[in-house]
Amino acid sequence: MEKVATETEDAVRSFLAEELGEVSRPGRYLGIEVNAYRKPFTPGGLNCVLVYPDVYEIGMSHLGLAVLYEEINEREDAMADRAYLPWVDMQERMLKRKIPLFGLESRVPLSRFDLVGITLQHELTYTNVVRILSLSGISPFASQRDDELPLVVGGGPGAFNPEPLAEIFDFLVLGEGEEVVHEILEAVSEWKKARKRDRRGFLRSCASIAGVYVPSLYEVDYHPDGKVAEIRAREGAPFPVLKRVVKDLDVHTRPRRPVVPLVESVHDRCSLEIFRGCTRGCRFCQAGMIYRPLRERGEEVLRRWGVEMIDATGSDELSLSSLSSADYTRILSLAESLSGELGRRCVAVSLPSLRTDTFSVELATRLGKVRKTGLTFAPEAASPRLQAAINKGVSDQDLLEAVSAAYCGGWRKMKIYFMVGLPGEEEEDVEAICHLVRRIMREGDGGRPPKGLRLSVSVSTFVPKPHTPFQWARQLSLPDTARRHFILKEGLRMRGVTWKWHTREMSYLEGVLARGDRRLTPAVVAAAEEGCLDNWSEFFSWERWRKALEKAGLDPAWYVERERDSEEIFPWDHLSAGLDKSFLWEEYSKALRGETTPDCRFGECVSCGVCPHTGTETRLAKEVG
Amino acid sequence: MRRLLVKFYKKGEAALLSHRETMRAMERALRRSGLPLAYTAGYHPHPKVSYSPALPLGVAAEAEYLEVAVEGDVDPKEAREMMNTALPSGLGVVSIEILPPSMPRLSRWTRYGLYRVEAGDAVLHLCLRLSGEGGGRLRDALERLEKETGLNLKGSYITRTGIFASREEVLEEAPRPVYFYRGSDGRLEKAGQEEDPVGE
Repeated sequence: MEKVATETEDAVRSFLAEELGEVSRPGRYLGIEVNAYRKPFTPGGLNCVLVYPDVYEIGMSHLGLAVLYEEINEREDAMADRAYLPWVDMQERMLKRKIPLFGLESRVPLSRFDLVGITLQHELTYTNVVRILSLSGISPFASQRDDELPLVVGGGPGAFNPEPLAEIFDFLVLGEGEEVVHEILEAVSEWKKARKRDRRGFLRSCASIAGVYVPSLYEVDYHPDGKVAEIRAREGAPFPVLKRVVKDLDVHTRPRRPVVPLVESVHDRCSLEIFRGCTRGCRFCQAGMIYRPLRERGEEVLRRWGVEMIDATGSDELSLSSLSSADYTRILSLAESLSGELGRRCVAVSLPSLRTDTFSVELATRLGKVRKTGLTFAPEAASPRLQAAINKGVSDQDLLEAVSAAYCGGWRKMKIYFMVGLPGEEEEDVEAICHLVRRIMREGDGGRPPKGLRLSVSVSTFVPKPHTPFQWARQLSLPDTARRHFILKEGLRMRGVTWKWHTREMSYLEGVLARGDRRLTPAVVAAAEEGCLDNWSEFFSWERWRKALEKAGLDPAWYVERERDSEEIFPWDHLSAGLDKSFLWEEYSKALRGETTPDCRFGECVSCGVCPHTGTETRLAKEVG
Repeated sequence: MRRLLVKFYKKGEAALLSHRETMRAMERALRRSGLPLAYTAGYHPHPKVSYSPALPLGVAAEAEYLEVAVEGDVDPKEAREMMNTALPSGLGVVSIEILPPSMPRLSRWTRYGLYRVEAGDAVLHLCLRLSGEGGGRLRDALERLEKETGLNLKGSYITRTGIFASREEVLEEAPRPVYFYRGSDGRLEKAGQEEDPVGE
């Protein structure tokens, strides 16, 4: 066994020596980054590999895995390596030479690790997940893996409805990982020591760790019409599985020394997470629902930590990240003190997400960064009725004022996000987008036309997500989406305005997978085997997907275009983000009635259920001194 | 404002970093070095750095250079150590020296690149002009060298061992024999043990 192992590693080494010079951007496959731990792979220790199922440049910008990478590597008994999906030229060379996917740092094949952790950030990476496993020589079906092969573990927002991948993962983790990862490693360590390895027995005991979901311990029955009839937990597995929440974020301040990407990544900057959760209550937003409650980190902790991260990476930008950074209670004083201290070293402080109001614009202007890339606003809807329905609290007036403030602040490039297909949308709501854009181009400079403004309008198709008030809603059909795009194409023909839209079929597939059930797993595997890598537009093929779904006897329209009734059991009803289904239903009903719900931070509790269910509460950063 | 000359190497797998990626890594290490860097003005200030001509992907190097502007006191030894802890493995700083004001800019003297080509047991030395009149590409020079020597140079391990201001300087430093490649007409000349037979 050991001899075979060394032979594989030698093969990987000589493969790299011979082929790396021939592939695009070989820097992605080197694993010699600054701050990489490069801990040795030891047969006696706990060997983990953290996988982002997309290319290096995207995976390296992901904060969640960076946190886990440090949590694991700081343990004496464990190591964490990293892996990404190689670009197709590299994949071809690996397949040709029979080289399995290996950990970036150790160069040990993934199949030899104890634990392969894969983050599910987006439905369109699901076929990439299957490709990762097949490149690694690991069977995509958990039931076909023997006791030697690694445990394949999932996490991230996708874990809140991983049913389309249910047969692939041994288990998944719901919610925040920095505490539960240690409980899992303890359990794996015990299991490794046991003389007789019984995978099923291990999974059964693993299911008792709070936040751990073992799909094989649940049975699903369906009605003849295809809807879920019942979900049953077996062998003592919990029902529902409740997500993990970290109560006090000030005691969890990782990553401290993030790995510095060798190849420029999509967000080439240091990310400092200033808070978790968001209570604004936008009804379409899954992140805003599943990451509750709101927990802000202390200002003093953040100030110190931000400087330490810059010291440790040499980065020229510190991004104050969160779901809505201008909402941080002490944002002015935090941003100013950090930009004062780091500005001396020519390090910029930036906000990744901007609220659509003058306060945010003035803050961004004061920080002075991103003048090149421009400002982004996301009102999402353009008619008062839909603006109320989504509960984002952004009116036409707010947007016009924000644009005016930005224009006065010297910004000449702006980007605005809208959605089509929101619940209750009529064609006139789509026309409202064109009217609003026209108003901006006429009045965007405090009532006058904003000369020289270049406006980029980005339109996505609304995809209803599990655990949100819109989980009952129908999504647009492909022809309906095309009709809306046509309205926009005609209506947005204006000087200074460009518009972009999401590929219709990609949003449609996202819709199938987002609210999908277990019966989809064979189709996901089949589509991946047919060569679909959905997140890479060159390798996205709705045609192949349609065939894969047809072969599995599934109708995509049934998943996408059907409005669910209040009684329907969802495929994810055994998984809980701590939100009461009755709260979500009430929010959906209010949306259809055009009523709004306030942010619980400023007023009364909205009774979403998260605080009592998870034993947590909203934490705001206090004034210092 | 003073100028520093940083001499660095690039070996092993780090040779697979592109010029742009190497510059990124060096800039980050400079930022962490504690050196009082001078920055450009404007919305996106960045350190004032210039680099010796780009190395082709896959070629290692023993003596690449960058020039960086600083304001204030500098401890070259300490800065070198700091930079070396902040670089990916395979990239390393050999020395940092404070340049006298009379020293011309980097781009004025980094004209000739000397390469060591290791193919099996054979070790060849090749020199080519990096820019300007008579400048050529390494790939073409290697093809020409292959024809000249009859050796198979595919998969050879190539290292840029030095960068020089003039042909005379190369001849002073380079092991013999050394082949000179002229990009303008693709000529390859061999300078042996004795006196340089072909002047420019």
